[in-house]
Amino acid sequence: METLSYLAHGFGIALAPTNLLLATVGAIVGTMVGVLPGLGPINAVAMLVPVVFALGLSPESSLILMAAIYIGSEYGGRISAILLNVPGEASAVMTAIEGYPLARQGKAGIALSLSAWTSFVGSAIATFGIVIAAPLLAGWALAFGPIEYVALMVFAFACLTGLLTDQPVKALLAIMLGLGISTIGIDANSGVYRYTFDSPNLVDGVQFATVVIGLFAISELLIMLESMKGGAAPRIEQLGRPLFNRAEMKFTNAATMRGSLIGFFVGILPGAGGTVASALAYTTEKRVVERTDPEGSRFGQGDMRGLASVEAANNSASNSNFIPMLTLGIPSSGTTAIMLGVLTLYNITPGPALFRSQPDLVWGLIASLFIGNIILLAINIPLVGLFAKMLSVPAWILVPFIVVVSTIGVYSGKSTTFDLVLMVALGVGAYFLRRFGVPMAPLILGLVLGKILEQSLRRALSLSAGDVAILWSSPIAIVLWSMATAVLLVPLLMPRFRRWREKAVAEQD
Amino acid sequence: MTQDRFLGLAALALAAAMVAYGYGLQAPFAYEPVGPRAFPLMAAAVIAVCGIILVLKPGEANTTEGSGVTRPILILSACLLAYALLFQPLGFVLSTTLLMVPIAMVFGASWWQGLITSAVLAISSYLLFDRLLDVILPIGPFGGFI
Repeated sequence: METLSYLAHGFGIALAPTNLLLATVGAIVGTMVGVLPGLGPINAVAMLVPVVFALGLSPESSLILMAAIYIGSEYGGRISAILLNVPGEASAVMTAIEGYPLARQGKAGIALSLSAWTSFVGSAIATFGIVIAAPLLAGWALAFGPIEYVALMVFAFACLTGLLTDQPVKALLAIMLGLGISTIGIDANSGVYRYTFDSPNLVDGVQFATVVIGLFAISELLIMLESMKGGAAPRIEQLGRPLFNRAEMKFTNAATMRGSLIGFFVGILPGAGGTVASALAYTTEKRVVERTDPEGSRFGQGDMRGLASVEAANNSASNSNFIPMLTLGIPSSGTTAIMLGVLTLYNITPGPALFRSQPDLVWGLIASLFIGNIILLAINIPLVGLFAKMLSVPAWILVPFIVVVSTIGVYSGKSTTFDLVLMVALGVGAYFLRRFGVPMAPLILGLVLGKILEQSLRRALSLSAGDVAILWSSPIAIVLWSMATAVLLVPLLMPRFRRWREKAVAEQD
Repeated sequence: MTQDRFLGLAALALAAAMVAYGYGLQAPFAYEPVGPRAFPLMAAAVIAVCGIILVLKPGEANTTEGSGVTRPILILSACLLAYALLFQPLGFVLSTTLLMVPIAMVFGASWWQGLITSAVLAISSYLLFDRLLDVILPIGPFGGFI
């Protein structure tokens, strides 16, 4: 019951005119960004970081705006996947597999409206899940001390390396690069200057916005340039019947529910986001259909069940991603990592105490997820044709726009040329890392978690006067260490899982 | 040499640099058992391990689809760097108008499409950010907005 009154309070915040406006703007901008091939939620949120500060928004308002953009671009990603066979972001890869064939059969309108609907169902289920699970988890996590935190973060890193990529060593490398960047600047405990190379620009570390925009927005431009030279699939112009009918809805209901649940649980895992969820939902649904209805299976040639399940899972996961972020202070995806980074810029320490110390922030955000999803459903079904028009914006307008907004964003922080050059250097460096198959999301997680991990580690070892054994001295920590070991070992021991992962996450970034 | 080997060697070089610059990091007074250098050195150690794994057991080489794009990539990187360096000295409006033209052209615009895009972009974002949102942008060499 206490939860309900908190939720009502949250709705009070989310329905305040400013926040409602921000959620609407965020939903529209997010969908637009999601439509554009190559621009995912992470780029949009990254470019927004400085703008949020420039606008002087309160922490809850800026979080509401960023969350709306985040879930909006998960909706938008499906449009380019279905119409163009180009996933707007990594988690829409599976959407293209079933959605594009449907569109080629003249069912683009049905595919678009049906996927908007299942996206909504997935999100709604996940949001209810947040309301139930998050306060419980937060209460439980209050018992976490530095020892448990170290184990939890190792578990998150293990999830990232074990689940995400076909080459775990590269994800691990990315995490460590992030940890390395987090050590730059003055050490809070001893006052020692670390890796500043006597530059005053590095004394208080590398600006968060500079790293994020360099790694995502700038490197994305170089990737865009590369992919532009490749051929594109023919674009679908005819949308056909604009809305799915009752029979189609009934046909996909079970798939939608399965996808939503898979997405919800995958999204809770620290380190696993929408990409893993949609891949898992797709393979599950395919197996279920092959077993129950082998004659009717159209997987690979445009099966609505596949499309429904993937979109439900993807959006469900992107909403339940907020659970580890809000309750544990451990983000599951690059995008939630950036949001956490923004919270720390507001001097808010993410973690289980957030539910007690920042009820406005937490419950305002949760309520705004409900509202944002309703807005998204409302704009995505009738206005889909309008959003599809975004696909005709030429790259030569889009790219200068991204460059200018990114540069202004970085410059607005400290107004130094140093930061701008660093942004470009990081962007070019990140481009090469991505070319070599090093994923960027773990790097950002490493950067965001680096300081907390180091502080927890040092605090824990202070308690034991340097004895490392204290790190596995509590039952919770032991459970977390065993889970981390399991996540790392299961892929090695189970060749079947490994094959699934290699196939499913080929497009992973 | 495969890509992974190269990446591994780069990781080893980075780890070596992190150790070289991090080994001397010690607090004059130690209040705690773990000083400021332990964590960076630990990260360096793991990076080195990753590097060794990549050198010894490289994955299959990705098919390099982007072999024909080296030149545009170089041009774009150079333009971005020039923009970063000239942003403050030339001011926002001039540097944007000047450098967004080649960037637009790399992405397939003709010179006049690029010029219109960059001029409109420069002026409209100056008005939006500097005037409306109070993000202070660098002024030009002539003291005004150019």
